[in-house]
Amino acid sequence: MSSRKVRVKKLTVKTTLPVLREDQIDATEYESLLTESQIATGVDQTEENEYHLQSILKEAGTSNDQEIPVPPPQESDISYDGLYPAAFHKPSSYIRFSQTVEECISCQYDMTADDNEFLKSYNSNPPAAGTLNEDDFERIMEVFEDTATEQTPFASVDNTVVGYDMMVPGLNQLGSASILLHAKQIYEYWKSKRQEEGNKPLHPTIKFETHQETDDTDPYVCFRRREVRQTRKTRSRDTKIAETLKRFRRELEDGRQLVLLAYEREMMKRDLLQMDRAIFEERARLKQIKTKLGIKGDDEDLVNQKSQKRKPVEAAGAQRPTTQVRVPVRPDGRSHEQDLVLLSDQLAEKENELRNEIETKVQNHRRWNQNHIDLTRDPLSPVKALGMELKFRPAKTQYLMTPPASTSSESMDVDDVPEPMQLDKLELPVFQFRGADIDETPQTNQPAFRRRIGRLQRLWIDRRGLSTPSRADAYEYSDRWKYDSDDEDDEPPVYEVDPFDTRALKFRATIPLSPYIFRARPTAPPEAVNGVANGNRVLPPPPQPQQQPQPPHPPAAQQAQAAS
Amino acid sequence: MAGGTPHGEPSVGSDTPRQKGKATPETLKTGCIAWVEKDGQPRRAEILSIKETKSGKHYYCNFDNFNKRLDEWVPVARIDFTQDVEWPNPEKDKPKDSKTKKVPSNQPKKSQVSKKAQKRPGKREQSVNSEATTPHPWADFVESQGQRKSSSVGPEAESQAGVTFEASATPGAGDDLLADEKEDEGKKDEHGFSREEEIEKLRTSGSMTQNPAEISRIRNISKVQFGKNDLFPWYFSPYPEIFALEDVIYICEFCLSYYGDEFAFTRHRKKCTLQHPPGNEIYRDDYVSFFEIDGRRQRTWCRNLCLLSKMFLDHKTLYYDVDPFLFYVMTMRTDKGCHIVGYFSKEKESADAYNVACILTLPQYQRKGYGRLLIQFSYELSKIEGKLGSPEKPLSDLGLLSYRQYWSENILDLLLGYNERDEKVTIEAISSALAMTTQDVEHTLQAMKMQVYHKSDHKIVIPERLIEQREKQKLKRKRVLDPLKIQWKPPVFTASSRTWGW
Repeated sequence: MSSRKVRVKKLTVKTTLPVLREDQIDATEYESLLTESQIATGVDQTEENEYHLQSILKEAGTSNDQEIPVPPPQESDISYDGLYPAAFHKPSSYIRFSQTVEECISCQYDMTADDNEFLKSYNSNPPAAGTLNEDDFERIMEVFEDTATEQTPFASVDNTVVGYDMMVPGLNQLGSASILLHAKQIYEYWKSKRQEEGNKPLHPTIKFETHQETDDTDPYVCFRRREVRQTRKTRSRDTKIAETLKRFRRELEDGRQLVLLAYEREMMKRDLLQMDRAIFEERARLKQIKTKLGIKGDDEDLVNQKSQKRKPVEAAGAQRPTTQVRVPVRPDGRSHEQDLVLLSDQLAEKENELRNEIETKVQNHRRWNQNHIDLTRDPLSPVKALGMELKFRPAKTQYLMTPPASTSSESMDVDDVPEPMQLDKLELPVFQFRGADIDETPQTNQPAFRRRIGRLQRLWIDRRGLSTPSRADAYEYSDRWKYDSDDEDDEPPVYEVDPFDTRALKFRATIPLSPYIFRARPTAPPEAVNGVANGNRVLPPPPQPQQQPQPPHPPAAQQAQAAS
Repeated sequence: MAGGTPHGEPSVGSDTPRQKGKATPETLKTGCIAWVEKDGQPRRAEILSIKETKSGKHYYCNFDNFNKRLDEWVPVARIDFTQDVEWPNPEKDKPKDSKTKKVPSNQPKKSQVSKKAQKRPGKREQSVNSEATTPHPWADFVESQGQRKSSSVGPEAESQAGVTFEASATPGAGDDLLADEKEDEGKKDEHGFSREEEIEKLRTSGSMTQNPAEISRIRNISKVQFGKNDLFPWYFSPYPEIFALEDVIYICEFCLSYYGDEFAFTRHRKKCTLQHPPGNEIYRDDYVSFFEIDGRRQRTWCRNLCLLSKMFLDHKTLYYDVDPFLFYVMTMRTDKGCHIVGYFSKEKESADAYNVACILTLPQYQRKGYGRLLIQFSYELSKIEGKLGSPEKPLSDLGLLSYRQYWSENILDLLLGYNERDEKVTIEAISSALAMTTQDVEHTLQAMKMQVYHKSDHKIVIPERLIEQREKQKLKRKRVLDPLKIQWKPPVFTASSRTWGW
């Protein structure tokens, strides 16, 4: 054994093992191979080394004459056939049986020797009702015991005794008048018997749990109920599953509600249509009658009624889009699109209405802007540039008086009025601020100049292709907003970054558009600008910079709202 | 003496020995260890209880290294008062057992499955004294112990050391001592420390196997009239407390109801109509039948069965109800009915893949090969289920022997077939062929010393004597079950009934 220094290969359950007989291996070798290893027996450790067990285990599987001694059973001296008289007939098929023990025994109460003595003495001087046989005695006792267990489950503790009156209903169920005559006397016997036993059930019973502390240590307490929360190992999984199921249920319920509501809505719509139709038909009839009878005037009725009727609907419809005008500024456009789809009919109906409204807003805006003097430090146009331009270039050239190109104006438009509605896209710029049209044309590297008339008849020269001032501009402007507590805050200002660097461009394309960037670095191709503008639609645009170049805008919007 | 050396573990010596001294029948008290005659030989025994009878004092003795089922009441005459008696020394043991509550005396006992190290000392010390200092009258026993120890030096040496201690440590003594105290001192909280563990174990494992701390009680039923036989219980069973006073209790052979009063029992017999276990027959041949009984449906019957079997199963707990178990009852047919011979219980869903929870052949049918049939049936069911099974641990001594025999016979037959065909085998193949777990297969192979490492290869070598023996056994023609006669589908329980239903 000691010579076995070789590393032993690992034995797994999948290792194939040759099966040999002892004689197929060299005998001398074999002896040395036998290892004495202790094997886990599975017997409780405290008993594993008991004398009789060990002396047998020593034989290692060889069955032998040794046996573990046990107290031997004996033949009983009872009369077996007397006790078990019934003969059993083996059914030809396998037995199927589901009756319980109780169901197999007619009467649960079994007379004891004491009972027998009592009954004998009771019968020895027969009462008026005649003698009582054992079976009836047992049935009466069973009623008493059952009623007592039912009525006074804690009889042994509080020592309440069920009165005879309580027993009567149970006795009546026995359905035998003759038994009842004995019952009272048996009751007295039963009562005294119960008292003797400490008011416990007469039949000895095993101890069940009483939910007291003594339970756990009482060896006689057995067959405890398992707690309802039978944990096992799946407890957490169970709750998880339960949660999931609850959630599913909730979601399904939501879905169902949705369907129901949609149904209701569609039904309402149908009703509405039918009503409309009915009204229309009535009117048509009225008109016919009118024409027939030659009644003039009062055509108002027909139309007015209609518009009157429609007005609230329209107003509601109109209000909704106006709220939507605001809403898309914040949330994503998707919900809006869904809205469109859902309300497409109504919206289509009210497109004109809306357009008019916006038109009025625009008019209001214009009116409001008419005598506007921009006193802010940095009005719509870059004052500095203007000053410089005024200083250095007294503009006399008369070139490029054309209005901004449509592409940029579109992007401009989008920037100004962020509502992405179809009707607006088609339209030409609604808000045409003179001061805002700074550099709509896409810039090329070729230097170019443009003159235009600003607010209050100021003359503006726009130039492009000259990159010198841009950096300084950027610096100053971005710096100006440095401490502005805005959404932009977290975006680091562009200080040292080369604004024309591709990476910087890309980066800027992803951030909400700031008009400064838009204006000061117009090198980005229109597509990029558009892209930024689009991004602007999706992301919440910084309201501050938007208002800054166009201070009149928000009040105008308010006005427009008030007007509608 | 030969036995002395193996016990001389260093850790043992650290304990102060028990007080020793002469005693008289009057001074002998519970907890003492004295020399008591057993089967004509003196043997160390712990006094667990004392009672006065007309014929004088009787002492309930647990014998050193004998299973508790051999505990008995002995009269004064069988106690050797010429020998020193070891006195219990409570004050020493008490502080050691930190978790012990209220128990004043020598309390190291059997919760040790996990906590051996902590609790052993008291016992260790007892045994050492006895084995090392007193002459050992039965040499063969000591010898066997000695051999065992020497062979035990190996990879498992450490764990074995623990086992060894156990062995030498009068297993039941400590516990029964407790039980005794409990009786004497009016039911104090006698199991203090292990109780929580036990309850926890029961709750989590759903097992019917009992915690060792509870096994340690004095038999409460002295004699049972059952069927045609009088049985002498081996262990405590929680029948009504009042039954402890009866000389004999009567149990109906069919419904298993229990009676302290013979007249009541005869009255019951007149009314009881049951003639077979109250379930469905799932196997029948001309020798035995098997019935399947749902603990939930047949609560009364299954409880009665558990109470009955508890008298013969030490490691069975009746702590919880029978609902989560199925009971497979083997019966023998006569013209009176189907008489229960034995049974095994099985968890409806075992977390540990056990296919047997408790298994018992009633004493009057033991040593007749019925246990093998029960075991075979349990594996046949596992085969139908398509699972590998193993009996729940711990096994009793008799259980271990029965299982070992079943396993070794079946594995041997299988291997001889492989040998004849000159095929190789894997443990997995044996395992799946017999529906045994691979651990059980390996253990059996090791126990039969068939697993060898030879010429840098693992091999299975079948010892000649096993083959011879098997040939002899085959001549005896033992009964086996015919799997084709099983009419059974694995019962299906809804998840809710499994989880919440009991």
